[in-house]
Amino acid sequence: MTIKITSRAGARTMAWRSSAVLAAGVLTLAACSGDNGAAPEEEPEATGSATADGSSEAAEDQAEIRFSWWGSDERHTLTQEVIDLFMEKNPDITVVPDYTDWGGYWDKLATTVAGGDTPDVMTQEERYLTDYANRGVVGDLAALGLDTSMIDPSVIQSGTIDGKLAGVATGINAYAIVADPQIFEEAGVEMPDDTTWTWDDFVSISTEISDALGDDVYGVQDYGGNEAGFNIYARQHGESLYTEEGTLGYEDATLEAWWQHLVDLREAGAMPDGARSVEIAEGGPEQSLLGTNTGAMGMWWTNQLGAISAAAGRDLVLLRLPGESESERTGMYFKPAMFYSVAADTEYPEAATAFVDFLINDPEAGALILSDRGLNANTDVREAVSSQLDPLEQQAAEFLAALESEIVDGPPAPPNGAADVPEIAGRINEQVLFDTVSPAEAAAQFTSEASSAIGQ
Amino acid sequence: MSVVSELRSVRRPKGKRRPSALHKGDGKAAIFFLGPWFLGLILITAGPMAASAYLSFTDYSLLEAPNWIGLDNYTRMFEDPRLINSLKVTFMYVLISVPLQLAAALALALVLDRGLRGLAIYRSVYYLPSLLGGSVAIALLWRQVFGADGLVNAVLAWFGIEGEGWVSHPDYALGTLMILNIWTFGAPMIIFLAGLRQIPQMYYEAASIDGASKWRQFTSITIPLLTPIIFFNLVLQLINAFQTFTQAYVVSGGTGGPADSTMFYTLYLYQKGFASLDMGYASAMAWLLLAIVAGMTAVNFLVSKYWVFYND
Repeated sequence: MTIKITSRAGARTMAWRSSAVLAAGVLTLAACSGDNGAAPEEEPEATGSATADGSSEAAEDQAEIRFSWWGSDERHTLTQEVIDLFMEKNPDITVVPDYTDWGGYWDKLATTVAGGDTPDVMTQEERYLTDYANRGVVGDLAALGLDTSMIDPSVIQSGTIDGKLAGVATGINAYAIVADPQIFEEAGVEMPDDTTWTWDDFVSISTEISDALGDDVYGVQDYGGNEAGFNIYARQHGESLYTEEGTLGYEDATLEAWWQHLVDLREAGAMPDGARSVEIAEGGPEQSLLGTNTGAMGMWWTNQLGAISAAAGRDLVLLRLPGESESERTGMYFKPAMFYSVAADTEYPEAATAFVDFLINDPEAGALILSDRGLNANTDVREAVSSQLDPLEQQAAEFLAALESEIVDGPPAPPNGAADVPEIAGRINEQVLFDTVSPAEAAAQFTSEASSAIGQ
Repeated sequence: MSVVSELRSVRRPKGKRRPSALHKGDGKAAIFFLGPWFLGLILITAGPMAASAYLSFTDYSLLEAPNWIGLDNYTRMFEDPRLINSLKVTFMYVLISVPLQLAAALALALVLDRGLRGLAIYRSVYYLPSLLGGSVAIALLWRQVFGADGLVNAVLAWFGIEGEGWVSHPDYALGTLMILNIWTFGAPMIIFLAGLRQIPQMYYEAASIDGASKWRQFTSITIPLLTPIIFFNLVLQLINAFQTFTQAYVVSGGTGGPADSTMFYTLYLYQKGFASLDMGYASAMAWLLLAIVAGMTAVNFLVSKYWVFYND
């Protein structure tokens, strides 16, 4: 490989990155990817040729782009099929897959970016996208000429940061209750009307089920550590987790009440104890209460319905979160499931953009991906593939369609530093589960840690 | 030293006493042989250390070039309750598990020193955990064994005891990691065995003729003559234990949970650097760890004057 360093500043950055990566690797005992040799790939035309279409065609003869994503084996297989299809249609572009599980994804991505080896096309998530966009890692898809005409403007808005399209949503999701009708039936408890049920109903129904079915079956799995649930709760009370200005937007009392419900559930025996809850949470959909037929309800993202049903061995149903008609307004919202972003310093911007375009706009790609990355954001593709969805995916699609008219607004993009918040929420939730802090103390602690994480 | 000194002794008898030329040749040979090691030292150890020293004074985020912020990272450490907690967890782990691990190693070494049949097999069997202990596979196994539906609880159930989810309860999670560390006593055990073999048999013969009991022989002959080995093992295992990372990372799923009860210093450092993208702070933490380990080792050497007996 020839090494081209275009400016002194560039040379300094390179030296930096390599030594920094080495330092990071040695001092933290972490295994770094070994291909630092790819660092000097920054060429001026990479970012400059934003809107050029045919001008640099020749340079793209042998374009090789790397696409990174996280997920399960199932997703890896189907994504590889999509890549193969794309390469068949575009013989001049080679797409190199680069995948890992969710836990390792962000460590790996940060390290490869530091090493100057950013994947040309990467999968992003809303809590991280702002960090990467503000630091100039991802390019502006609008300037690269990506066709987004068939995507809902509010979904486009969710990936727009400082006027630039940092990421295009793969699809949409909602955070909802997944329920097992069979367990409700065994307990002799009627399924609730999810448009009117309150948080108190939720606690009492969970308790009834636990009481009716004895030691091994619970009403609900611990859900307190997912800040998306709290965001819905806060929105129902006219507040929100984050404001447009990038600050925290709720009263501590609201968060205290959120955790008080959890304590009530645990004390009533409607939820497993702390140790059990922690263990179950680590097991993902397969080990969840619903997945093992030992619980009636849990809070999940709508695109997880299929995975949990598969683990349970029977069809589960989606319900709205409690309290949608209890307080000031509805709280549920559509979340962009993931984003596709293109590296700002990619050597092949046209090839990378063409690949993203294929992923979101091509009906054949859509037919392979189906609802794996959320309900497709491109409304044309969504319609085209709707007949191919299996009954569970269809249920999720209908659930989201029914929500559409109830949703008041989307939450603002999470601020810089929001990537730390899930960890903070999960940890403090564990303290609540083990009763080492009261809900009031937990709320105060969360507010103080979260506000310092987002730099207030 | 042997290569260079042999060269010297070979060339001297030839009678040509030209020290400068001789010196020059030696230097080249030395540079040639030491070269690979020096290169490794500079590229893999000294270079990154210098870089991390610099980064510890910056706000480096991994994604952007660093900016100088002076001592901010170091002053922030004193106001970070999670860092203080991670130090507590790490010290608890080190101070409890290292002495117990060494005691287990010594006890097993004494048993194996008796010359049982098939000794080599026993030695290998007991050494195995040390080969595996730091690995991801064993940490995963540990999670299963100590899980709510794991082996430990299955055994407890035979006695009618209903066990906890040991790795998912904040009161017990650290304890299970300590047991894991104690279990990997193979390396110090092998060193103890070698040390026991070095104690001359005649001391024991003399002692038994004088009527000393086995216990008396152990405390008055074995232990004193073994103190240099104990000291060596202690220093090594302390340094090792301070750097524990894999086990905590895997057993807690990378979170240091439940509720930060297994948040080791190195794990917090890793989280800060790679999850919170605060590599400047993580670098500063690495230097604090270096200072702590160096300090502990220095204290160890100072105290060793009062209890380590060198028989020479």
